[in-house]
Amino acid sequence: MCKECGCGDRELVSVELGVRILTRNERVARHNREHFAQAGVTAINLMGSPGSGKTAVLEALAKTFMGRRTIAAVSGDLATDNDAQRLRAAGIPSNAITTGEACHLDADMVHRALHDLPWSTSDYFFIENVGNLVCPAIYDLGQAANVVALSVTEGVDKPIKYPVMFRAAELVLLTKCDLLPYLPEISVRAVFDSLAQVMPEPRMISLSAKTGEGMQRLEDWLETKRAAQRPR
Amino acid sequence: VIGVHEYSIVSELITLVEAEARRRGAEKVHRVVVKLGARSGVERTLFTTAFETFRERTICDGASLELELTSGAELLLQRVEIEVADV
Repeated sequence: MCKECGCGDRELVSVELGVRILTRNERVARHNREHFAQAGVTAINLMGSPGSGKTAVLEALAKTFMGRRTIAAVSGDLATDNDAQRLRAAGIPSNAITTGEACHLDADMVHRALHDLPWSTSDYFFIENVGNLVCPAIYDLGQAANVVALSVTEGVDKPIKYPVMFRAAELVLLTKCDLLPYLPEISVRAVFDSLAQVMPEPRMISLSAKTGEGMQRLEDWLETKRAAQRPR
Repeated sequence: VIGVHEYSIVSELITLVEAEARRRGAEKVHRVVVKLGARSGVERTLFTTAFETFRERTICDGASLELELTSGAELLLQRVEIEVADV
């Protein structure tokens, strides 16, 4: 090899790495998770299609808790802070994360949003993800659990069409059940059967943010989750 | 909107490859091997298209992408083939 003119031979080297591509996101998610654990806050990543009723569930939950439990939230959308405004009107301190082009929230966006919000004094912190049944499922945000809202008008086979999302869920909320009388072709049983094909431990609560149906069951589930997470 | 996350994943991938190349003093990357699981939530055609779009003007310019498909949920940068000066 010639050092004077830099004409050294080149060598092709194969380097085994086996590193997770989303490793940076996972590191920030761990950091968020530590924040939540230290503050004793139960963080929930709430996902679902656009219009599946995620914001309405949170509005209804604020009513169900009636001051017994406090909630803070961030809501992700490509544009506008409409959802954050709705949540604030329901008494939930909340900010919007406008993602521009991005179809999902990542751990870093959530981390930045934590700096501007009094989340650490709340019992629950909801991350209302961008409405999308694909991308949000693969980004860990530091949450204690993934919850997916699926409305009765979306049809019974969404879980098998979007298996990655429903496989990642611990709980599915079947929303807008007050509409069931107008949808004779939709059966709750059929939705559950389709969930059971993809969710390792299928768990579904039928609810209506409008009538309050199922909200108590949601509260009970959240409380169980919270109790399991608290330091012994 | 569906599928846009493949772009952000590819940009993470290229960042990882760049860091590895820099650490080893490589000037050129010949091949990037990714282990991609069927349950990873990543669509392989979109992923390949995203790589071909984003590699330009990065150290991956001209590098080929090889996918090792599995049935699991893996999403790994498995291996890189880089060109280093023979010292």
